[in-house]
Amino acid sequence: MSDIIRRILVYIDGSEHAMLAAHYSVCLAKTLGANLSALFVVNTQALGALVKSHIFLEDEEIEYRRDLNADADRYLRHVQTIGEAKNVPIELINVSGSVSTEIKKYVNERDIDLLIIGELSRIQSRRDQFYDETERAMRSVRCSVLIVKNEEQVWNSYDRL
Amino acid sequence: MSLLDILTKDVIAVPLMSRDKNGAIMELVQLLKKSGEISDVQSVYDAVMLRESKCSTGLEKGIAVPHAKTTAVKKIAAAIGISPDGIEFGAIDGKPSKLIFLIIAPPDQSGKHVAFLSEIARLSQYQQLCDELASARSVDRVMAILQGEE
Repeated sequence: MSDIIRRILVYIDGSEHAMLAAHYSVCLAKTLGANLSALFVVNTQALGALVKSHIFLEDEEIEYRRDLNADADRYLRHVQTIGEAKNVPIELINVSGSVSTEIKKYVNERDIDLLIIGELSRIQSRRDQFYDETERAMRSVRCSVLIVKNEEQVWNSYDRL
Repeated sequence: MSLLDILTKDVIAVPLMSRDKNGAIMELVQLLKKSGEISDVQSVYDAVMLRESKCSTGLEKGIAVPHAKTTAVKKIAAAIGISPDGIEFGAIDGKPSKLIFLIIAPPDQSGKHVAFLSEIARLSQYQQLCDELASARSVDRVMAILQGEE
C-alpha cells in the first residue's frame, strides 16, 4: 500500500464524467493498494430551495427525493460492479444534504488522502463559477484533488488492469 | 451542467405573442417542437398543464417556471418566453409574469431537472438580471444577458 495515498474517495453524481472518474479511481486504488469509497449526495439542499422558492410543491419535493434516492442506489450499484470486475472492493456511501458540505465532511471524517472527481462542467456564464457545487468542494477540501480527463486513456488503463 | 447547455436561440421567444397563461405555455411548447426538442406537442402541453392545475408556478418578481416530468421527452428541454407587458400567471405576489421559463424533463433525469430548476431559482434572486431579461427585445440580447456578458 502507498504511504501517500491510502484512502481514496470518488464523488459520483450520475454523470458520464463521474462514471469515468469511477473507472479511474478503481485503477488507482488497485495500483496503489488503497481503500476506495464512492460517495453520492442526494442534493436535498436544492430540493428545499425549490420548495422555498415555490417552484416545487411539497408533494413534488417528496417525489423527486424518492427519484434521486433511487438514482443514488442505481449509480452506486454500477460503481460497485466497476470495482468488482477488477477485484477492487468499494465502500458505497449514500448521503443527503449539500453536495460540497457532504464531500468535505466525508473527506475529514474518513481521513481521505485523495478526492477524485469527474471533469467539471463547462463555465457558460460568470454566475456558473459561483454555483458549481463540485468545484466548491474541490476548492474547500483539505486533501489533494484529482480531476479525471482523457476518456480514452482511462478506458485503456481500466481494460489493462 | 448549466441551463445554457440546453438553451439555444431557437427556443427563446421575444416577445411572446400570447396574452394568457395557457397560450404562452402552448407557444413555448410549440417552439420546442419547431426546434426539434420534442415530438408530441399535446403530451408535453398536457403534462405542464397538469402540474399547473395543482398550483401555479408563477413566482414573485415577474417570473414563472412551468415545468413537467414526462416520457414524451428523452432529454431535458427548456424554452424561455419574454412578455414585455406581462401575463397573468397566478403569481404569488399577484404581479404579471414577464419571464417564463419552461422546463420539460424525462422521469429518469430527476437530478438534472432539479439542477436546472435550481439554476432558475438562483437567477430569480437577481432583480437586476430579471429586469434586464424582461426588457430584452431580441434573442441575442437574452443570450448575452444569460451569459453575463453585460
